[in-house]
Amino acid sequence: MTAKAAKSMEVIQGRVKTFPERVRREKRGGRKIVGMTGRFVPEELVRASGAIPYLLCRGGDPEPVEASLPYMHRFLNPFVRAQLGYYLLGMDPVVPMLDLIVAQCDDCHASRLADLMEYLRLPAFRIGIPPDWQKELSVRYYAKGLARLKGRLEELTGRRVTEAGLRASIESLNRVRTVLQEIGDLRKKENPPIGGLDFLRLNHASFYEEPDLFAAEAASLLEALEEGPGLFAPDAPRVLLAGRVVAVGDYAVPRLIEESGGVIVAEVLDEGVRHCAWKVDEGGDPMDALVETYFLRRLPPSIFQPSWGIRVRHLKESVLGNRVDGIVWYQLAFDEVYDMEYAAVARAMSEMQVPILKVESSYEYARESTGPLATRLESFVESLRAKRRVGP
Amino acid sequence: MNRDVCAEFLRFTGFEESEIPGFLPDFIEACRALNLSEADVRFSVETWIPSQFDTELEGVRRGLGCIVREAVDLTRTPRYKKQGVKLVYGILPAMSVYYYALKRTAPDRVYVAFPDLFLVAFLQMFFHRLNPTLEIAEAAGMSYGCRHCALNKARFTARRLGIIPSPDISWIWGFVCDEGPKTDEFIQECFDSDWRNYSTRLPHDQPLGTQEDEVDERVEYLALQMRDGFEQVQRVVGISVPEEKIAEAFEIRQRFVEKMGELRDLLTVDPPPLGGVEAFILGMPRDMPFNTGLEPMAEALEQTLKDVRGRVAAGRGVLPRQAPVLMYEIIPYCQPWLVKMFMENGVGVMPGGPTQKQLQPPRFEDPYMVAAEAWLKGSVTVNAGYKADQICERLLRYKFDGLLLGFLDFDRWLGSDNRLIARMVEERTGLPVFYVEGDFWEDRDYSPESLRTRVESICEILKMRKAG
Repeated sequence: MTAKAAKSMEVIQGRVKTFPERVRREKRGGRKIVGMTGRFVPEELVRASGAIPYLLCRGGDPEPVEASLPYMHRFLNPFVRAQLGYYLLGMDPVVPMLDLIVAQCDDCHASRLADLMEYLRLPAFRIGIPPDWQKELSVRYYAKGLARLKGRLEELTGRRVTEAGLRASIESLNRVRTVLQEIGDLRKKENPPIGGLDFLRLNHASFYEEPDLFAAEAASLLEALEEGPGLFAPDAPRVLLAGRVVAVGDYAVPRLIEESGGVIVAEVLDEGVRHCAWKVDEGGDPMDALVETYFLRRLPPSIFQPSWGIRVRHLKESVLGNRVDGIVWYQLAFDEVYDMEYAAVARAMSEMQVPILKVESSYEYARESTGPLATRLESFVESLRAKRRVGP
Repeated sequence: MNRDVCAEFLRFTGFEESEIPGFLPDFIEACRALNLSEADVRFSVETWIPSQFDTELEGVRRGLGCIVREAVDLTRTPRYKKQGVKLVYGILPAMSVYYYALKRTAPDRVYVAFPDLFLVAFLQMFFHRLNPTLEIAEAAGMSYGCRHCALNKARFTARRLGIIPSPDISWIWGFVCDEGPKTDEFIQECFDSDWRNYSTRLPHDQPLGTQEDEVDERVEYLALQMRDGFEQVQRVVGISVPEEKIAEAFEIRQRFVEKMGELRDLLTVDPPPLGGVEAFILGMPRDMPFNTGLEPMAEALEQTLKDVRGRVAAGRGVLPRQAPVLMYEIIPYCQPWLVKMFMENGVGVMPGGPTQKQLQPPRFEDPYMVAAEAWLKGSVTVNAGYKADQICERLLRYKFDGLLLGFLDFDRWLGSDNRLIARMVEERTGLPVFYVEGDFWEDRDYSPESLRTRVESICEILKMRKAG
C-alpha cells in the first residue's frame, strides 16, 4: 500500500477509535444517540432526525459471549450474545449513552436480544421484519414499522424528518456506498491494491463517521489505491467470504485467509457491512425508497423465505464476476439457518467445481483454537493455489 | 413380523379387540416402512410402554392409540397421493382449526397432518428409536453440532426415505422458530423440488409484557396472514372452505380446550390422580391436526376424565400425598422418562393447563380474527413478558411448588427465553424455577443417567422447601 493510501487508512481508522469520545461530546451538546441492530434500520432516517447512529455490531471476543449466559442460553449465536455481553461487561462505552436502540426483529436470535435489552431497561424500540418478504402484507408491515420509527425519532430529537432532509441523508449515504463500492471493485484487478481484511475494516469504519467526511477521506484513499501497486503474490488464490456477519473486531478469519496467502476479493455477508451495490433511489418518495431498497431490492438475507435460490444465483455470479477460486463459508455456532443454507450452497459450488470451506466460530480465538483454524485455512488456500497452478 | 406381538401392541394402545384384525396389516406395513423390527415392537410392549405410561387407565391407552392410528395413517400417504387425495402438511406449532376445517369440508379428498410430529412421536414415544431417522438428515446437512430440531430433521428424512410423498402444499408456520419454515426450503432446494411450501410468519416484535391478543392491530395482521395462507392452501388443493367450517372447527377446539381445563383441575387433587405426560398427550390435537380427526382423542379424554374421577373417589394417586408438584409448560412426552424420574423421587411434573383468558369467549366474529386472537392468547408463542404473566397466573392458581424449564435447547425461540422467564417468574412469585438443559424430542445428548443427579437434587430441594 502506498504511503498516501496507508495515511488515509490510518486517518479513517483513527476516527473510529475516537468515535465514543466524539459521541460523548455531542451528547453533552444535546444531540441524541441512536443505536441500531442488524441491516434493516435505515441509517438515513436516523441521520435525518439529527441523531447520531451507532451500529451495535462488535464481535470476535469470547468473554462477552460467555457474559450473556445468565440471560441467554448457549444455543443462540455468539454474535447476538456478544452484543449483550459487551454491555454487561462494560466493554462498550457507547451503549450506556444511547437514547434509543432500534432493534430489528427478523429472526429468533435478534428478537431475543431485543427482549433482553428491554428487560435490562435499555431504551429498545423494536422493528419487526417479516421473513415472508415477497407478500404485499409483509412489505406494508415493514413500511409501517419505518413510519413508526420516523415518528419515534422525531419525538426523541424534537426535529421533524422532512422529505428534503431525508433525501439529503439518502444522497449523502449513497456517496459513501459509491466510494466504498469503487474501492471494493479494485479487488477485481488481477493483483488487488487492497485486500478483504482492509476492505472490511474500511466498510465497518463507514458506520462510525459522518458520511460526508467519510466519503471525502475514502475518495482520497481510492485515488491513492488506484495509483498503487498490487499487494498480493501473483498467484494468490482469490477467495470469496460468505456468511451471516463479520463483526467489527472479528477479523481472525479474514486475517488468517490473507496471512495464508489468499486474497479476499468479495464478500456475501448479510449483516455488519454496508451493502454498497444497492443505492437508495434519490427520486420519488424517500420513505418508499427506503422500503424498496432495504426490504425488497437488496440480496435477501438467509432468514428470508424464499431466499436460497436467489442467494445461490448471486453467489454464482459473484464467483464468476470476481474470478473466485474458492469460498470460505464463515458460520457462527448454532446459527441454524446458515448451517442449512450451507448445504444448498455447497451443492451449487460443487456443480461449478468451486471449492468451499465451512468454518464455524463461537468467537473462541484463544491460541489453542486459532491453531487448528489457521491450519485449515492455510491448507484450503494452499489447495486453491495448487489448483490455480494446475488449472481446472 | 410376529402378528401376536403386534396385536399385543395394539391392545396396549387402546384398540378394541374387534378392530385389531382389520388394523393389523396396516400396522405391520407401517412398521416395515419405518424400519421397525419385531424386536422393536416386542421391546415396546414388554418394556418401554409399561414403564413409561400409565396404561392402567383405558382413557390413556386410547389416547396413545390415537397417535398410533395417526402414524399408521401417515405411512398411507403414498397410497393416498396415487388415489388423488390432496396432501396438506404443516408444522408445529400451528393453529389447527384450518386443517380441521379443510378436513370437515372434504373429508375424503384431503389428507392433513404434521408428518414430522407423528413420525417422531411414534418412533420415540413408543419405541425409543428416533436416532436413525435423525442421522439421515444430519448426513444431508442438518449437522449434529448445530442442534437442529429433531422434528425438522424427521421431516426431511420422511421425504428422503419416501415415507411421505411431496405434498400438494406444505403450509408452514413460522410463529415460533425460523428453522421450521426454512427446513421446507431446505427440502425443496436440496432434495425435492416438488416440495411446494407456503410460509406464514409473524415477527417477534412486541414489547415485553404486551398482551398481544388485546392489540387489535396485531390480531388483524395475524388474521390477514392466516387468511392469506389458508386461501393459498384452498387454491392449490382446489377445495373451497366456507367460513362456517372454520367457525365450527374453532368451536370444537374450544370445547376440547375446556375439557382439558377440567382434566387440569382434577390434577390438583391430593394425591394427583394422573401424571403430567399422560395429561399432556391427551391435549395434542388442540395445536396439531389429526387426519383421523380430533374426535377420537376427545373420546379418549372423556374416558380419562371418568377414569381419573374413579381414582379420585378411591383416594388413589400417582404420587404420595403432599408431594411437591412442578409446573412444566410443555411436557416432553417423547422423553416420558424425565417426568417418571421426578415421580420416582416423589415430585410431580404437570402441565399448566389453559389460562383463564384462553377459556373466555372470543371478542370477534370473523373466524380468522377469532383464530388469531386465540393464537395470541397462547403462552408458547407470545413475548416473554406475557408468557411469564401467564405462567405466573397458573403457578399461583394451581398452587404449584415451582416451575421447571428447559428441554428446548434446539428451539431458538421457545428455548431461548428460558433464562429470562426464570428471572421474571422468580421475581414475581418468589417460587423456585429450575432449568434443565435438554432436548424435548431426542435424548442422545441428555440421557436419563446424565440427568439423574440433577433431577434428584431438584427433588430434594423441593421436598425440603415443602417440609418448611
